[in-house]
Amino acid sequence: MTIKTPTPRKGAANRSGTIDASDAIPLRYGDDPYVWACWLYYEDGMTQGEIAEAMGVSRATVNSYLADAREKGIVNISIEPARLASLTIAQELKRHFGLTDCLVVPSDDNARPLIDRLGAAGAQALPKLLKSGDTLAVAWGRTVLSVGEHAGIASLQDMTVVQATGGTTAAFAYTPELCASAIARAISARCVNITAPAVVKSPELLHMLLEEPLVQEQFATLARANRVLFGISSLRPNSTIHTSGFFESVSLQDYLAAGAVGVVAGRFIDERGRPVAGPLDDRTVGISLDLLRKIGTRIAVAGGFDKVPALLAALRGGYVNVLITDAATGHGILRADGVTALDAKLSHRPKLVQTPSSYRTHVKKFLNNPNEVVEEMLDGVVRAHGKYLQPVNGSHRALVARRGPRPGKVGLVIGGGTGHEPCFLGYVGKGLADAVAVGNIFSSPPPDPIVQCAEAASGGEGVLFVYGNYAGDVMNFEMAAEIAEEKGIRVRTVLTTDDVASSPVEDREGRRGVAGNFFIFKIAGAACDRGLSLEACEAVTRKANLRTYTVGVALEPGSMPQTRRHNFEIGPDDMEVGMGIHGEPGVTRERIRSADEITDSIMDRIFKEMKTAPGERVAVLVNSFGATPLMELYILFRRVEQRLAAKDILIEANWIGHYCTSLDMAGASITILHLDQELSDLLHHPCETAFLKIN
Amino acid sequence: MQTFENAKAGDIVLTLADRIIENRAYLSEIDGKIGDGDHGVNMAKGFGLAAERLKGKDASLAEALDTLGTVLMTEIGGSMGPLYGVMFTEFAEKIEGADAIDAAAYSRMLHAGLEGIRSIGSAKVGDKTLLDTLVPAVDAFDAAIAGGESFAEALDALVSAAEAGRDSTRDLVAKIGRASRLGERSLGVLDAGATSCAIILRELSHGARARLA
Repeated sequence: MTIKTPTPRKGAANRSGTIDASDAIPLRYGDDPYVWACWLYYEDGMTQGEIAEAMGVSRATVNSYLADAREKGIVNISIEPARLASLTIAQELKRHFGLTDCLVVPSDDNARPLIDRLGAAGAQALPKLLKSGDTLAVAWGRTVLSVGEHAGIASLQDMTVVQATGGTTAAFAYTPELCASAIARAISARCVNITAPAVVKSPELLHMLLEEPLVQEQFATLARANRVLFGISSLRPNSTIHTSGFFESVSLQDYLAAGAVGVVAGRFIDERGRPVAGPLDDRTVGISLDLLRKIGTRIAVAGGFDKVPALLAALRGGYVNVLITDAATGHGILRADGVTALDAKLSHRPKLVQTPSSYRTHVKKFLNNPNEVVEEMLDGVVRAHGKYLQPVNGSHRALVARRGPRPGKVGLVIGGGTGHEPCFLGYVGKGLADAVAVGNIFSSPPPDPIVQCAEAASGGEGVLFVYGNYAGDVMNFEMAAEIAEEKGIRVRTVLTTDDVASSPVEDREGRRGVAGNFFIFKIAGAACDRGLSLEACEAVTRKANLRTYTVGVALEPGSMPQTRRHNFEIGPDDMEVGMGIHGEPGVTRERIRSADEITDSIMDRIFKEMKTAPGERVAVLVNSFGATPLMELYILFRRVEQRLAAKDILIEANWIGHYCTSLDMAGASITILHLDQELSDLLHHPCETAFLKIN
Repeated sequence: MQTFENAKAGDIVLTLADRIIENRAYLSEIDGKIGDGDHGVNMAKGFGLAAERLKGKDASLAEALDTLGTVLMTEIGGSMGPLYGVMFTEFAEKIEGADAIDAAAYSRMLHAGLEGIRSIGSAKVGDKTLLDTLVPAVDAFDAAIAGGESFAEALDALVSAAEAGRDSTRDLVAKIGRASRLGERSLGVLDAGATSCAIILRELSHGARARLA
């Protein structure tokens, strides 16, 4: 059967009357409980609980009947073709132009004028695009006004709407002032108008006007806008640009002759989206194209076939990252830009969606914009841990300890990709790292922030770089070291190579650096803080690295915020022993075993290399890769302690928790630092960072 | 003998940047299948930054390549930043000071870029990386010249070989980098680096070809 629309629930009250035999399937369903369950759910509109009662089975069984029915093809869920087409076009526009988001309204609904439908679509999109505290710049146009007329959002607070251009003659209905105030009213925002004409008589007058304190204040608000809403005008004879009177005083011929195809917020652009110079440039009061392009969310609402060239130009120029249009226009834009693959897709019959409900392609995450994950996290980190660290030269990619660097002290710079939090930035602070360079997810920072860190960390006695041994990190940190040396800062480097599983013991130097970073950074930071020379700091850090042993086991893969998909797979009953912190291969893939057996296999590998005598001391780190909870870590630690105790090795200090993660990978690593007196002293040296404090 | 003028060829880098920026979504999409899905974004960022610095400068090809290489090397990070960064700075160094670039100079430039990449990375042909595009392209160019073909014909051979090389990555299992973790699952998917490398070589060579005199 095909379910087109949810059927309204029919009489729950007489349910017990219509279905009385709870132990036998009513004749009409044959002997198929799937069909019965589906009928009750989709046709009679019963809840799963009610169906369970009626059928005399558990809720879980009903749930699996319903899920299986979709897989078996008993139930088909189809999407209405026109809606599907507009979704397909939206998806393609988003992909092709790298948009943040795109909403396309179906074209076959001719009941209402296009302007109305676009206005309603814009109104529907606004709540998803705006957040409390935003400053929204609003340009003028019929469609923009229509958005204002359709929208009504009461849930936002502290909103500001600012008019994006000067004002025009009130001879038409959608003046810049009206558009701004309509949107302001719709979202309960304070409205800041630009109290100057959009086009003034001369460049001199423009200068004078922009020096008026009142206008300056209005432009300051405009400069603070983090979102902008605008229409796009074509230069065809019937477009608003001609009929609005916005530019009534000049002929548009100059612009047309120079190749202008469209207007964005009162500024002319050519087919590639480049600004077109003309007589109005020095006489236009309003947002510049450069400023517009710097705004985070740039929402264009426009449709109609005559606007295809103008919209395409605006998209190519990067002025738009959220597009609201209709299917015919969207399709036209794509074809005009050479995308034809879509035509084949659209001519297909609507595809049946047959995904079993238990099957997921995407992992759920707390995200705003997947491409801004690192920036948003760093913003949060700086706000949360401002007591310990602060940006170098305003960049969140280079963070320096507030009470770290000081004259006469060797500076410690650490760093690497993100996705390992609290590594690396959680270990910046007094007594530990002086600065951290931050890359993208699982990706080394470039040399620039590393150099900035070296300069910020330098106290005149040289700087020590300590980071994990990965090709990308080595390339970038080495370049940074050369640049820092050129700037007169002595740099020494220690690569961490604690991952026992990543390479045989003969190739100790080729191993990866993983959670053992935690101990190695700690030792290095203490050595620097005690005022040792650069050479001495380097030597003791090398010793710590050589005496640190880590083995990890992964149970489930992690997933990248950009793709929200697992970045590798581990079988349902498998685990991977020796896994690195980016999901690199381990030594073996085995059937999962008990926690003690897993711990034993890890400890056996470590004991094979770590030569200890009875009575010696170690520090232990049991680290989660992200998704594994403390409960399981303690179960691992319990066995680690038993194994060490059996060898008469004393645990002088231990840490259990999230210290070096791999996004949301499930699994854990065990690190042992084989102490001697020097390392022990340095381990206990006081430090104060966001994630490690020792007094 | 066909040559093109170094001083008048800086715009090739601007066109190249345009192509990379246009393919931002495509490159990220390919990368997302077996990587973290940020290749297009990072490449577009780097090439865009370089293009901004070059606009209106009327730079020579050597100067433009040097700007591009420096931006990629110092501001992008990851592995791609240094790898492409070293390739373009090596390209630039080899043709610096040459007024006219002939086939032999173009070949020296390509080889220098390739050696630069080999000096910092450890990949080989067949590992499903950008080398699967670059190595056959350079070989095809040299072979065409050795076979007596013109500079223009050799550039065409280079582009065809680069694209064939890129397509060959579809049937390769990744041996290096994070995609190697996926083993057989990386089969059937283009390598993002090989794909961006094909775009780069095509634009560079088409640009050179259009300027031959």
